[in-house]
Amino acid sequence: MLVPGQKLPDFSVPACVGIEKGKEFRPVSNKDFPGKWIVLYSYPKDFTFVCPTEIVEFDKKLKEFTDRDAVVLGGSTDNEFSHLAWRKDHSDLKNLHHPLLFLTPALVGQLGILHPEAQAALRATFIIDPDGVVRYASANDLSVGRSVAEVLRVLDGLQTDELCPCNWKKGEETLTQKLKKAN
Amino acid sequence: MALDAIEKFSESLPDLARDIKLNLSGVLQEGALNAQQFWGVAAACACAARNPRLTQAVLADAATSGVAETTLEDAKAAAVLMGMNNVYYRFRHMIGKEAYSQRPARLRMQRMQKLAGPKAEFELFCLGVSAINGCEMCVKAHEAVILENGLTEEQVHDAVRIAATIHAAAIAAELQG
Repeated sequence: MLVPGQKLPDFSVPACVGIEKGKEFRPVSNKDFPGKWIVLYSYPKDFTFVCPTEIVEFDKKLKEFTDRDAVVLGGSTDNEFSHLAWRKDHSDLKNLHHPLLFLTPALVGQLGILHPEAQAALRATFIIDPDGVVRYASANDLSVGRSVAEVLRVLDGLQTDELCPCNWKKGEETLTQKLKKAN
Repeated sequence: MALDAIEKFSESLPDLARDIKLNLSGVLQEGALNAQQFWGVAAACACAARNPRLTQAVLADAATSGVAETTLEDAKAAAVLMGMNNVYYRFRHMIGKEAYSQRPARLRMQRMQKLAGPKAEFELFCLGVSAINGCEMCVKAHEAVILENGLTEEQVHDAVRIAATIHAAAIAAELQG
């Protein structure tokens, strides 16, 4: 499984972005969001029980993610047509404001999130920073939902770097020196 | 360079503040600092000095002088972020206990990574505000970064002169009630 410190592989996959006729599908790529953090979460299967509560929870908290310059992308190994059918079928999913991606076999392989027996995606969550580097990776077994509040908590933690030279301690490198070294 | 709004503001100040009125026109001109730099410092300091009339006048004249809106946004951001950091880091410095320095601040300051202009310029704005807010640690830290980024002590000095004058202008404006 992809872990913090690794780069998210570039992808472009079909996604269901709405249920309005003619506007259901759009390819989604990690490169569509320059300067943003990406919260990418996977779930095992459309039309099952735990999954909608998580999807709805991410959607309800979308503003909190947007305020933190993060976009939320959900996905499973089901293709975009299955996502559309599910969204139309389930009252809680009709008005989602974030896309559901078709996690292609290639992408699932690169992310390393395939449950070996079920051959569906684990409940995995990745937080990727604006430079495309994974900063958080977690996976639950199929039956246990995740806490969106926890994802937000981690995102907050990742975004509270003390960027101000005010925190400089005598004898330490200054921020500029650190940045020069990093580059 | 027109200081129309600031002149109008200055006319409203009491006579006892005439020095400040003259200092304002003295510091708000190109010298070691170019127009973008001194207007940015003035804007950030006006926000920090908390007099709305003064702030409006500075922002108006800065815009008329051709300073980019994005620069003024960065200046406002400097005032806001220093409003937080000057308090927090001044505490760390005042308390003098290493234990507090080890604790992560857990305060967001992501706006610092979204600067429209050069970082050194933003640091000048922060320096001016930190001088007004009186945080020794911040003033020293920002000055060090400014010099490291190729600006000069003369530029730092002029930024502080602006900060001092703007702060006095805000006080004088309060006398009107």
